[in-house]
Amino acid sequence: MKTVIGIMLSIAVLISGCYKPRDPRINLKEGVRSDSLDGNIITRPIGAAFSTIIGEGIEINSVTTVKNKAGFMEVHVSGYNKAIGTRRFQYKVEWVDSKGLVLDSKTSTWLPVSATAKSSFSFYAVAPSQDAVDFKINTRQ
Amino acid sequence: MNAKLPVLFVSACALAFALGGCAAGTTNIDTVNDEGKAVMELDYRDFSQAASEMIQSMIRSGALNKKGGGRYVVATGRIVNDTMQRIDTDQLMAKVEEELMNSGLVTMTSAVGGKGAPDEMIYNTRDIRDSHEGDEFNKDTIAGKGQLIAPELSVSGKIFQKNLRYDNKQQQVEYYFQLKVSDLTSGLRLWQKESIIGKRGSNKSVPW
Repeated sequence: MKTVIGIMLSIAVLISGCYKPRDPRINLKEGVRSDSLDGNIITRPIGAAFSTIIGEGIEINSVTTVKNKAGFMEVHVSGYNKAIGTRRFQYKVEWVDSKGLVLDSKTSTWLPVSATAKSSFSFYAVAPSQDAVDFKINTRQ
Repeated sequence: MNAKLPVLFVSACALAFALGGCAAGTTNIDTVNDEGKAVMELDYRDFSQAASEMIQSMIRSGALNKKGGGRYVVATGRIVNDTMQRIDTDQLMAKVEEELMNSGLVTMTSAVGGKGAPDEMIYNTRDIRDSHEGDEFNKDTIAGKGQLIAPELSVSGKIFQKNLRYDNKQQQVEYYFQLKVSDLTSGLRLWQKESIIGKRGSNKSVPW
């Protein structure tokens, strides 16, 4: 029995070793791509349990601000969902003027984001007026 | 019969107490951080979400940037409620109008609109001017003819609903918010967006 398990794990490791992502911009979800260690039918439960135990979730990779055609500030946030399942959360952007005062805006409301498992995601927000020079982003489940 | 009276009384009291205990007390909604569960009908959170997406898209598109500077004069055209609910479309448009004006890109007009003039007093004062009651007013303070500014752009749209059977126990309700901005001189459409809010829930709840 131990020998069988050992062989199966070795095969899983070998299969996963063969998989190499070609282009980081393209995410092939499990079931679409070739078998890998985290997607293999034998090792997936172990990976899932491990992911849950260490609390893998959303990571923010970059926050970019630009001025759009109208001269309004925009913030573009991109991140990665390290969890094994889809992560849904909400975000709310508050815009701040040069005096550090929060600008009152109907656009400052909770908006949903759905991040696919083991995939990158992004969202953006546009300032309500040209007075905005900075922002604060809150998130919640 | 009399012996049963105390038993009946106690039972009635116990029932009233139990029912009273079940009734939920009234609380104000925390509209800033409302963590209440979703409902099948459109609620204020859905309108806030749709309005926020619309406004941000409209500003970002640059369609409201007037060539040569200045602000466009914008009228709210017809917003059709094609859902099964009694919706006042101002729930969406009041937010959009407020934000567009605060953005500094446009000025809204109250003289014309899809539902008639948003402020009837504009025409009421003119009716007074042209009637014998006008003599009671200082002529210099009554609006003269040819003073109203015509809108250059119009925002119009539609909210509609589609009900689908999801399975034996659940239904799916899709709400579509569609807005568009048109140039009233050329008739050209400058901007358009659709925002979808979908809900899935029990067949027992009726979304209207």
